[in-house]
Amino acid sequence: MEHEHSILYGPVNALWHSVQHRFAWDIPEHVIMALLVLVISAIIFPIFASRIDRDHPGPFQHTLEATVAALKDLLRDIIGHEGDRYIYIIGAFTVFIFIANIFGLFFFLQPPTSNTNTTFALSISAFLYYNYEGIRRQGLGHYLKHFMGPVWWLAPLMFPIELIGNFARILSLGVRLFGNIFGEHTATGIFVGLVPFVVPWPMMGLGIFGAFLQTFVFIMLTMVYISGAIAAEEH
Amino acid sequence: MNKRIILITAATLLFAASAFAQAPSAGAAGVKWGVISAAFVLGIAAAAGAIGQGWAISSACEGIARNPTAAGAIRLAMIIGLALIESLVIYSLVIAFIIQAK
Repeated sequence: MEHEHSILYGPVNALWHSVQHRFAWDIPEHVIMALLVLVISAIIFPIFASRIDRDHPGPFQHTLEATVAALKDLLRDIIGHEGDRYIYIIGAFTVFIFIANIFGLFFFLQPPTSNTNTTFALSISAFLYYNYEGIRRQGLGHYLKHFMGPVWWLAPLMFPIELIGNFARILSLGVRLFGNIFGEHTATGIFVGLVPFVVPWPMMGLGIFGAFLQTFVFIMLTMVYISGAIAAEEH
Repeated sequence: MNKRIILITAATLLFAASAFAQAPSAGAAGVKWGVISAAFVLGIAAAAGAIGQGWAISSACEGIARNPTAAGAIRLAMIIGLALIESLVIYSLVIAFIIQAK
């Protein structure tokens, strides 16, 4: 928590430097941690999926079924009847961001989302995805037309403002996730440096709550942006 | 009550004018403007964020009290609203981190 590097930074970089001598730089912390998130989710979920039991579901199965049902309900609420096809991308964001945020609670790991590189990668991916969906559904011309606003004579004013607002979504999604996780991680680290025993617990509780909340807000906003991008055909 | 608040705020701000006594140091061993402005930025952002979120929560509580069956939807809207307001405070926190090193 107050450590600067996770437990994997030393070994992975020792391996990296022993295997190749062309690049002198170290693999950065957040890359190692993000790959660890990927490895963990690539191990847990396929093993779990092969053990789904319809008659005697265990607790993990109940939890995941409840999560998937809640995500599908949210998708249907926000996007409408088209919502179910986006469960895969939204589920991917949820799993990655949640596990990444939870890394902040372990003293031997660092959350990859406490680094702007990871959070901007996530927000740029979400941005490209919803624009791609909008362009694919409506065609480029029609998609750009809905930036122009309701009446044609407002278009020179509305178009730059809408365009800037659209690109500002990258910044807002990325900085929100980064600021929350980095701030809570740093504050917990300071508390641990001051009084290592009982005092960090409220901050860590806030960290758990923040991990859930930031995941929820990220996927909620992505869903809202997707619904905004594909919506005009529903008029 | 209102007048008293205005009077006390004005008196506090007037005390800040004594900072001008340190101004002509050209920054080398002088006033650390980065640290001072970071503190101000965060204080103002936290105050404004708290007022906005307090208003949001009070409206949500009132809505739930009037219509308990809509509690789920109201709670959802409240959580989203709180997260969005909080994100503005977080932007100020990030700026404060950046400028406090200068």
